[in-house]
Amino acid sequence: MILVFGGAYQGKTEYALKEFDAKSISDVSDGGEPDFTKDIVKGIEGFVSRCVRAGENPSEYFAARRDEWESCVLVVTDISQGVVPMDKELRAVREANGRLTIYLAKEAEQVHRVFCGIGKRIK
Amino acid sequence: MNVLISGGCKNGKSLYAQQIASDLAACGPLYYIATMIPVDEEDNERIARHLREREGWGFETIEQGRSIAELIGREDVDLRGSFLLDSVTAVLQNEMFPVVMKEGKPVFPGEDKKAPERVKAELAAFADAVRQAGGSVVFVSDGIYGDSCGYSSSTEDYRRALAGVDRALAEVCDRVTEVTYGITEEWK
Repeated sequence: MILVFGGAYQGKTEYALKEFDAKSISDVSDGGEPDFTKDIVKGIEGFVSRCVRAGENPSEYFAARRDEWESCVLVVTDISQGVVPMDKELRAVREANGRLTIYLAKEAEQVHRVFCGIGKRIK
Repeated sequence: MNVLISGGCKNGKSLYAQQIASDLAACGPLYYIATMIPVDEEDNERIARHLREREGWGFETIEQGRSIAELIGREDVDLRGSFLLDSVTAVLQNEMFPVVMKEGKPVFPGEDKKAPERVKAELAAFADAVRQAGGSVVFVSDGIYGDSCGYSSSTEDYRRALAGVDRALAEVCDRVTEVTYGITEEWK
């Protein structure tokens, strides 16, 4: 698995498509279920948000499906840089997104960060 | 040589950018493109502080908060010089959310949806013209993409637009540098 992260609108998916010769995309930014048969699963932060609001743990979801995403490129937005959110649920989403990204970065063969459309391998 | 500098707010980008622009001005004029259009006393104070911070660096200040491509044809602007444009963020704001003064008070007529593409094209054209003349531009932008909360749609439009401008500039610049608390990371 290859993990790609970066801030909003930085060109993460474009980078993943180009860099890893990926073609198919599962976009879960609206909270939908990931389709790990696709090359890229993007918008994972949206899936995290839906899980947290439904009282589920997204890290457990991913840990239970390790075999399914082993050959995927996973794209997640870094939402960790701003002010602590006032809203309790949003704080929980931010925390769950952080925990999941730490887990995925640990499991990933490669980790890339994207900044202004430029990607850099950091693991 | 054209350079894009970004990173978090209040991280030392401006000071670093001043240094780079000054180094690049070895034998030509050194310009500071002042992008803030003041609307109140707070803005005036910030401008006064910025002016003090630039004292002694040898910058010639050009007031140009929008329509940056206008600088290309100006007789009093030597494109062989070194330009510091601080900031891309302010230029986009001025163009997307223009301010009109009415009876001494600022009025905001609303969002200009065509501004993002226009700003992207104008800044790239300016960078290209300066490069062809043998000068350099240092662009300073702001990394505002790591928040977890959703914003109002016009703010989200603005974040998306600024990222688009940053990415277009990253393509045409020779160097892209991220500044974090005064420490630099080279992306290109």
